[in-house]
Amino acid sequence: MTTPAIDVSDIEFSYGDVRAVDGVSFTVGAGEILGFLGPNGAGKSTTIKMLTGQLQPGAGSIEMLGMNMPGEREQIQARMGVCFEEKNLYLSMTGRENLQFFAKLFDIKDFDAAELLRRVGLHARMDDRVSEYSKGMRQRLMMARALVNTPDLLLLDEPTDGLDPVSAIAIRDLIREEAGRGAAVLLTTHDMHEADSLSNRVAFINQGQVLAIDTPDDLKLEHGERTVRVRSRAGDGVAEQVIALDEQGSADRVREAVAVDGLMTIHTEEATLEDVFVKYAGRGLAG
Amino acid sequence: MNARVVDSIIRKDVFEFSRNRFLVFITILVLVVWVVVFWLLPSNVDETVRIGVVHTGLDPLLAGLQGDDSVGVGLEAYSTEDELRAAVEEGRDDIVAGIAFPADFLDATAAGETPTVQLLVPAGLSSEQRLLLSGIVTETAYAIAGTAPPVDPTTEAIILGTDRIGAQIALQDQMRPLVLVLVLMVETFALASLVAIEVQERTVVAVLATPARVNDFLAAKGIFGTALAFIEVTLLGLLIGAFAVNAPVIIVTLLLGAVLVTGFGLFSGAFGRDFLGTLFIAFFFMIPLMIPAMGALFPGSTATWIKVLPTYGLVEALVGVTVDGESWAEVTPVLLLLAAWGAGAFVVGAYALRRRVATL
Repeated sequence: MTTPAIDVSDIEFSYGDVRAVDGVSFTVGAGEILGFLGPNGAGKSTTIKMLTGQLQPGAGSIEMLGMNMPGEREQIQARMGVCFEEKNLYLSMTGRENLQFFAKLFDIKDFDAAELLRRVGLHARMDDRVSEYSKGMRQRLMMARALVNTPDLLLLDEPTDGLDPVSAIAIRDLIREEAGRGAAVLLTTHDMHEADSLSNRVAFINQGQVLAIDTPDDLKLEHGERTVRVRSRAGDGVAEQVIALDEQGSADRVREAVAVDGLMTIHTEEATLEDVFVKYAGRGLAG
Repeated sequence: MNARVVDSIIRKDVFEFSRNRFLVFITILVLVVWVVVFWLLPSNVDETVRIGVVHTGLDPLLAGLQGDDSVGVGLEAYSTEDELRAAVEEGRDDIVAGIAFPADFLDATAAGETPTVQLLVPAGLSSEQRLLLSGIVTETAYAIAGTAPPVDPTTEAIILGTDRIGAQIALQDQMRPLVLVLVLMVETFALASLVAIEVQERTVVAVLATPARVNDFLAAKGIFGTALAFIEVTLLGLLIGAFAVNAPVIIVTLLLGAVLVTGFGLFSGAFGRDFLGTLFIAFFFMIPLMIPAMGALFPGSTATWIKVLPTYGLVEALVGVTVDGESWAEVTPVLLLLAAWGAGAFVVGAYALRRRVATL
């Protein structure tokens, strides 16, 4: 069995009397995207901060690339890329200068800022000051900065939060490319669609605790409700049947429903991650 | 500590500073304004007290009085009392007061009478100066009457410290330490602003997610702040002739001063929540730190509480060398005091910034 790129075991962290992270455990393998899904204040960002070394867990252990965090923080950070929730860029510097500065901190020789900025679609504006960038452009630059050192670990804290659809798609494509290259990606988000479309596995977190970890499909299959909705003409009106696929005899009922004359539409419906999350947490992802 | 990382952060700070129009403007403005103000200040001291006199037949006596340099009194003749009165009231001809001898002064004195001499003094003249003028009138009367004063004690002046008669400290020289300290203080704000921006924008969090350590960050800020303050104050020193006497001592003094203000800059930057907050905290430190320099403008004994201010050693060393021409040995005690304050301020400032960064 290969060692996971990220191995978090029973970590805890409190802000004063408030327990923000309470016994969280998970692993992320190389080339895997783990979606950390939860509402605001669930403990996602605090967990990320412990992984980046900003905060030290009160209990538990963090192993990354076979090394201990924070014990071997410097060696881990050399191979880690972080996209923070806040847009903490140097506004008076250009996009290119921002990346070049971080490349120097990582001691990367012959760094090609232009190529990386081309990947995130900022090549044409790379010599403009970041203060002149739009929110979407700044987020793409944040993503580019996280990739400066071609990291083996990518920690992405709400990387598409508040972005327009085009920018969000561009960033999701980049995340897939990086995972395809072999990087282990931990992605925090409260966007269930993003988690569903990007993640190999999803972890639900609420009130500082991981409620479930599995693939999006398995979570939906295991905890969600799958139905077939069949509509057909019935005299002057419309008849509608909703057949739950998880019930016994559902296959026969579907066959009977579609065999009627005047069949109009057939819809399959499956649970969303939000539905599953509500089942676990008793609340939605919003807020 | 990683020298390469420190170097990278310093270069970035220099770059950011050069892009910050406000800080560059303030830095250049302060430099230019103080150089201009300095060179506009009087570079010598006129030790003569000028007094207006209405004279009627006293010309030979007054001429003799004017020719005596040791007296330190310059007389300006007016033909009528009205002219003299107007000159005193309007402050013309640099006269501080006027003496109007009556037209019959000589005759009345010769007859053994007691003539009344009018002293014309502006409202702001002190009682001591009025007394001095009365003395001059009395001396003049004795001289005219040809008799000696009833008592003429022999006096011997024992000068404690440097005898400044004929070599008074010009306002320009008095202001030199003040100007140097003031410019150092302004750099407190410049560094504080840069640190505060880094904290408020949380860019430091991104820096610390790389192999850079917080000690690298603190070292870079410390070196950058010290260099910034030292370069500017040295440039100013060159432009106002501060290195004419004992330049090595001045350089060491300014360097220690730069370390001191860097400590305050780190502290102010760590706690400034926004631009105005940073400005407020920086000024909170700047005002008391300026007091010893202000005190240097008014020679005399220094209050004990001023001696405990961090910039006391800085000002004392600068005044000692630039005004009194003191040597290494003479300023070493105050330099050690300054070094202790500088080290203390730097440690406290760095600790405050470290704590602030840890909470981001």
